[in-house]
Amino acid sequence: MERSHELINLFGYRMSWAQLAWFGHRASGLGVLLFLFLHIVETSTILFGPEVYDFTQTFYANLPAKIGEVLLMAALVYHSLNGLRVIVMDFWPSTTIYYRPLTYGVIAATTIAMVPLGLIILTPYLPWG
Amino acid sequence: MTASTNRRPRTIYSNPSRAARPKPEASGRERFWWIFMRLSGLALVFLALGHMFIMHVLVVLTGDQIDFAFVQSRWGTPFWRIYDLLLLVLAFMHGVNGARIVISDYVAHRTARSLIIGVLLFISAAWLILGIAIIALFDPSAS
Repeated sequence: MERSHELINLFGYRMSWAQLAWFGHRASGLGVLLFLFLHIVETSTILFGPEVYDFTQTFYANLPAKIGEVLLMAALVYHSLNGLRVIVMDFWPSTTIYYRPLTYGVIAATTIAMVPLGLIILTPYLPWG
Repeated sequence: MTASTNRRPRTIYSNPSRAARPKPEASGRERFWWIFMRLSGLALVFLALGHMFIMHVLVVLTGDQIDFAFVQSRWGTPFWRIYDLLLLVLAFMHGVNGARIVISDYVAHRTARSLIIGVLLFISAAWLILGIAIIALFDPSAS
């Protein structure tokens, strides 16, 4: 089904965009779940009062943490958009004929959305921000 | 097969989205989780993206910051407490079930698979109870 010129090279694996979309959905989902575990532990410090909680929050106030925040948001945006595509195609199978444009659209929309979102999050922590 | 028939995309009814798994044929537990993933996913698009947008975009743009006082004012209203509780429970069930499906795809040995999934569910249940306890126990009037 996939023609050879549409295969892309990811870490030495030749895969189609369809495989990449599938892999990306799993990787982003597991990544967000991992952060959710961390987020619950970090938020639990709210029960120990303002000093403890405000100190915990300072762990996020640096550039590496903000880059992680952008990655988390990219994972969530991608997982959401691709998930919507999965829902549409599973409940209305006739939309399968738009598989490629929808998959490319999800990847393109995630990339475009992350430009302003990334800039808003990162700017205050960049040397010129 | 000629080039012209090859180019026409086929409608794949068994697994249209080519998602993690096709819809389970038999009704039962696996069918329930298949539908749950899609319904909770739809709700989470709004809940999770809304949460991220408020916490990491609006807070920055309005010059606010996430600290104890911020949480105090948010969790002082029932609306945001219920919002966060719903987000926590749905995201956790959606995420842990997703992890369960990934594990069962890669671990072929039956005993090992049951054991790993058992550990996952045990840890997750404890974590979820902790999460619910935080939202329930937090007292906004305390300083």
